[in-house]
Amino acid sequence: MTFTPEMAKVGDILPPLSFGPITRTKLALYAGASGDHNPIHIDTDFAKKAGLQDVFAHGMLSMAQLGRVATDWAGIDRLRGLSSRFTALTPVGATVTCEGRIAEKFEQDGAPMLRIALTATIDDGTQTLRGEALISAA
Amino acid sequence: MGLFDRSSVGHESAPISVVVERGPIAFFAETIGETNPIHSDTEAARSAGYPDVMAPPTYPVVLEMAAAKEGERKEQTPILELIAADMRYLLHGTENYEYLGSIFAGDTVEVVSRVKGFSDAKGGQLEIAHLEMEIRHADRGVLAITHRDLIHRLSAKVTS
Repeated sequence: MTFTPEMAKVGDILPPLSFGPITRTKLALYAGASGDHNPIHIDTDFAKKAGLQDVFAHGMLSMAQLGRVATDWAGIDRLRGLSSRFTALTPVGATVTCEGRIAEKFEQDGAPMLRIALTATIDDGTQTLRGEALISAA
Repeated sequence: MGLFDRSSVGHESAPISVVVERGPIAFFAETIGETNPIHSDTEAARSAGYPDVMAPPTYPVVLEMAAAKEGERKEQTPILELIAADMRYLLHGTENYEYLGSIFAGDTVEVVSRVKGFSDAKGGQLEIAHLEMEIRHADRGVLAITHRDLIHRLSAKVTS
């Protein structure tokens, strides 16, 4: 850790994180671990019937990586919010690269806060998630 | 034509009690690649000053799923069924967590789900359900609030 939340400046880059390649086994395990049993992520026959070529990864598996980028750097006790928009599907076999950047410093109820812009990108350059974390900088 | 049952707007589920368990938190943490031992090792969590292993940031969704399953056993209609979600065309649009307190193994929490509303996008190719979930603890109050948008990709609807 080269800089702390107290001293962070807008534009500072958090240590990135890479996750994958995401296998079918990983999707089966995530379905079990999360309780999200939607067959579109684990059953190829179901995915094909729905007009897709294959199953695709749970968006929440990638969002968990955005959370790790924020908490690996700041620690979970500082995390006040985490949000994400799922902008593209993550195919089986993809490796997800997650990055964070200090987007804003602001005050909330008199306490210093950081807004961290987060992104997840897969091997071919497609951005799959765009989110943010709210971190206490007190 | 949309698929969601829009008459479900305003619905709030009866609170469902869920016990937060140590093993499932550790399994979830391992599956997502979380390496901080406060999420998987009780001793490490206690050394760090916590009562037990702590739920990772996206764990509210797991507790909400567990609550939905528990509700089903009690013959409550699950929220996905209530809004008439069609899994073939369902996409996750957005997920937003507000953290008001930490969640630990051993906690008994209550989960409440609400159908906030519905909207349309991309000239009717997408329809969106807006959901809200609250996780609360009897003594520590509300621990997490989730806002979730679920999308039907109506343009992909296949005739079967």
